[in-house]
Amino acid sequence: MKNPELIIIGAGPGGIAAAVEAARAGVDVKILDENPKPGGRIYGQLNDGFKLLNPGFLGPDYEKGKVLLTEFDTIREKIDYLHDALVFATFENRTMAFHQAGKGQRLPFNKLILATGAYDRPVPFPGWTLPGVLTAGGAQTLVKMQRVLPGKNILFAGTGPLQLVVANQVLDGGGKVEAILEAGEINNWLKLLKGFSRNWGLLTDGLQYMRAIRKADVPLLRRHIILEARGDRQVEEAVIAEVDKDWRAIEKTRRILKVDTICLGYGLVPSVELTRLVGCQHRYAPDLGGWIPARNEDMETSVPGVFAVGDGAGVAGSAMATFEGRIAGISTAQSLGYISSEEARKRKKPYLNDMKKMGRLRDALDRISYPRPGLFELAHDDTIICRCEELTLGDIKSAIGKGTIEMNALKRMTRMGMGRCQGRMCAPAVQEIIARQTQTPAAEIEYLNQRPPTKLVPIDVLESLPGEFEIRHGW
Amino acid sequence: MTQDLRIWKDVQRGQAFEIEVDGVPVVAYEGETVAAALMAAGIRTTNKTAVGDEPRGICCGIGLCYGCMMVIDGVPNTRTCQTLARPGMRLETQKGLQRWEVVE
Repeated sequence: MKNPELIIIGAGPGGIAAAVEAARAGVDVKILDENPKPGGRIYGQLNDGFKLLNPGFLGPDYEKGKVLLTEFDTIREKIDYLHDALVFATFENRTMAFHQAGKGQRLPFNKLILATGAYDRPVPFPGWTLPGVLTAGGAQTLVKMQRVLPGKNILFAGTGPLQLVVANQVLDGGGKVEAILEAGEINNWLKLLKGFSRNWGLLTDGLQYMRAIRKADVPLLRRHIILEARGDRQVEEAVIAEVDKDWRAIEKTRRILKVDTICLGYGLVPSVELTRLVGCQHRYAPDLGGWIPARNEDMETSVPGVFAVGDGAGVAGSAMATFEGRIAGISTAQSLGYISSEEARKRKKPYLNDMKKMGRLRDALDRISYPRPGLFELAHDDTIICRCEELTLGDIKSAIGKGTIEMNALKRMTRMGMGRCQGRMCAPAVQEIIARQTQTPAAEIEYLNQRPPTKLVPIDVLESLPGEFEIRHGW
Repeated sequence: MTQDLRIWKDVQRGQAFEIEVDGVPVVAYEGETVAAALMAAGIRTTNKTAVGDEPRGICCGIGLCYGCMMVIDGVPNTRTCQTLARPGMRLETQKGLQRWEVVE
């Protein structure tokens, strides 16, 4: 079997757009995705067994996704698409390993486009580990893809439009939403939505969501935050309060809501496990979700021939992911000699223009909804920070107090980030904890080193990997 | 129709079947993940932690956090949100790290 010229990891909007552009130019493309169907989180399709009778509940994303997925379909015979294929490692000499159907396989790569997406920002606060506390994305997956309500009395807490979308899907499915807490200023971003609605239909959607929530009489509490989840074996109540502009609780406004489910939507964190493993340089961009790979205007990272697109390279939503994917796809086609630089420039132009327009809006939205300091001060000393290894804020503070102020040293000292989730659920918070304890800007704190496997794989899968692997220097 | 948290609007579900959760039968439908079937039935605790013996359940829903892991057909640390329910599947609430069945 001949090795593909271009490998793409992730079949969400960014990965699909890249595959379409590259394949259209004649590039031999292989795309690997860990899900059973293409589309990623946002354009994901129902599992076999479900029959879609009316796509209304899937929202405007469904129609946009359908256009892209149809484009993917029309050029599919030129693309080698592997589903249920989890890439869990990259090694020296441009080789990767993936797991599919119980078997490990290795694959050399030349050009590589990483479109790995993002996940809900983990925000530790007292009680956040109780059953019944879900991420907004997790709740959305349940409602949208599985058609199951996450609970009976649901509280949403977070910031930005995503939680409004999910709350709407819950209401549409006949669920009960007790309240929606927006830590920031809704009025600000509503004004923004209005200002940009002429250019961007997706933002008028936001207004529709607001209207539906008002119609259902769900209290939408601006400048409110969740302080604590309480319950014996699962969530029974939530302690909430009004916050100031830094998202710090105003104590006298503290009150209790009886709920059995809490959905947290504090924005997304880019999945940079693979860009880190490949050795790309990263920079800290809190307005784009945290650590992101540095890229040039072709979406190429600091590692030649390795590109990164979509939310995994900085959270900016599905439209931006599609534009970036197309640009990376066209760029790889040019560098492989399939199209001239003149042709590449011509093909990229409309997407570059779209991105420029989108960029202005992003800047404005980011200023309004990115996390304020109070969000990182909710945990108490006995609150679990690292869920896998069951380490509390007190444990981490005491290690820092003994001089362990570097994230990788902290990992070795305490086992923080060594568990099943590989630091995904604790590292973003730990970075902020170290910043506070040591009075250091978060951007100056080096992030966790990434090691394979990026996700758990059964030991026999590792055993079945053919050949030997050399791991990258510096591990 | 049983009183559960399933949404029936706008979709049609496939074949219904039973799975077993700590010895108790629970209904699931073709195409559902184990986590979805559990949530629909109001079963929220999937495991107890190794150190603090605290209950945990489905959290991220996309296979990253491992909050939803259970022992499925004898295999511990299996993510219920990433596992499709199959007829006759046997689930156990995982206690701590749980013992593996030794296969000779």
